[in-house]
Amino acid sequence: MFSLIFTWLIIAWGTLACIYMLRCAWTRFPRRDLDDVVHFLHPVDLSLAESLLDPATDFALRWNSTPRAYREATRRRMRLYLELVRRMSHNSRVLIEYGNAIMRRECPSDDLMESPHEKSAAAALASELQHAAISVRLYALLVMARLRLRLWFPLDAIGALPALQLAQLRIAGEVDGPKSYDELKATAAAAFDQLQPADLPVLVRNM
Amino acid sequence: MNLFLRYVPLCLLAYLFWVLLRRKAYRTCPCFFIYVAFGVAAGLARFAAHNYHGSYFATYWITEAGYDVLGILVMYEVLRAALGNLTRSPWGRLIFPAVLVAGIGLSFARAQAAPPQAVGMPSYIVIGEIAVRFVQVLIFAGLVTLVPILGLRWRQYSFGIATGFGVYATIALLTTTKYSDFGTRFKLLWGWTSLVAYSLAVLIWIWFFSVPEKNETPGSKLSAPSPGVLKEYKNALRRMR
Repeated sequence: MFSLIFTWLIIAWGTLACIYMLRCAWTRFPRRDLDDVVHFLHPVDLSLAESLLDPATDFALRWNSTPRAYREATRRRMRLYLELVRRMSHNSRVLIEYGNAIMRRECPSDDLMESPHEKSAAAALASELQHAAISVRLYALLVMARLRLRLWFPLDAIGALPALQLAQLRIAGEVDGPKSYDELKATAAAAFDQLQPADLPVLVRNM
Repeated sequence: MNLFLRYVPLCLLAYLFWVLLRRKAYRTCPCFFIYVAFGVAAGLARFAAHNYHGSYFATYWITEAGYDVLGILVMYEVLRAALGNLTRSPWGRLIFPAVLVAGIGLSFARAQAAPPQAVGMPSYIVIGEIAVRFVQVLIFAGLVTLVPILGLRWRQYSFGIATGFGVYATIALLTTTKYSDFGTRFKLLWGWTSLVAYSLAVLIWIWFFSVPEKNETPGSKLSAPSPGVLKEYKNALRRMR
């Protein structure tokens, strides 16, 4: 019985994956042009993120509040950090697609297989940008899952789990979130400086 | 079934083999290249033996076992290519064995519920075949799930191989599951569906391999970096600033 249920679940998952790939092939999605990047970015206040992840702030809050007030304050801070991480995730996704667009522009012809070891500077920048963006995206996915679970199931309120300290969320999947986002910003700035210097100020403002 | 229609996938596989040779795919996807070469050889051997019942029986089951083994190797190659260095991390190494164990477990559970009609060695080959189909669907669906989540580029050879196998395996699992429900009335439809699904899979591979991969430059492959590599380039960036 269980094997049949699992079989049907796997078939359904496979069918959905087929439909998604068909959609990708039909609409060439996901795709983003080089010119429509900066306006899709959402500003992330890294100093705010740092203050939310500061264990001293958390300690002071716990020391100066009643347990109930501390729980409420922690939930507010969790929601705030979730929003920041969501923006990080969105921006890294936009930059991954930007990297893909550079790749498409740099390697449009069929002669790429002839010279696999020649790597243009733009392609190298795109590659670096994508790697940095993927690490941020991994971090964001792990942290968002953890925060959402904690917000949906507030088990700390009934004492089933200890209250979540935001400082624990600094590192997820061996990636330091704020630091890797800062590095992503630096890599994106380096890429824009070389490829689209006119958009650099907007990029810096919007990230 | 018409003999010509039965060997349509063989013609398509031969064309795919030529495309792979032109793209020098034996460098980037050696297991898949061997799989296709084996497919062509197996098809020719079956065609040569189709008038001799005993020889055809032996050729059929030996080549089916070969398809099973090569199918698993190709999926391992696909997973390694798509996830890159992540498969070398401690938990990344567990992904493929876990999928394999799940596939074998589900196949055996299915065999308990609806035992295959074949007896002896062929029955084990059928169980192995169903396990391979489970592995193919799981890896394909897992990789496709990563496309929207991590923003991976789907137009790469490894995704193409996984898509072909995924489409075929999904349809094969669906028809096999329904076959056990409907019984022998479904046999003819099952044969046709498998033929069309496999031809579709070969067409998908031809389509993916008809254009060169765009990120052939070393390091530009959009795959998840290992924690060690991440640390390395983060340190380099820190020094630059």
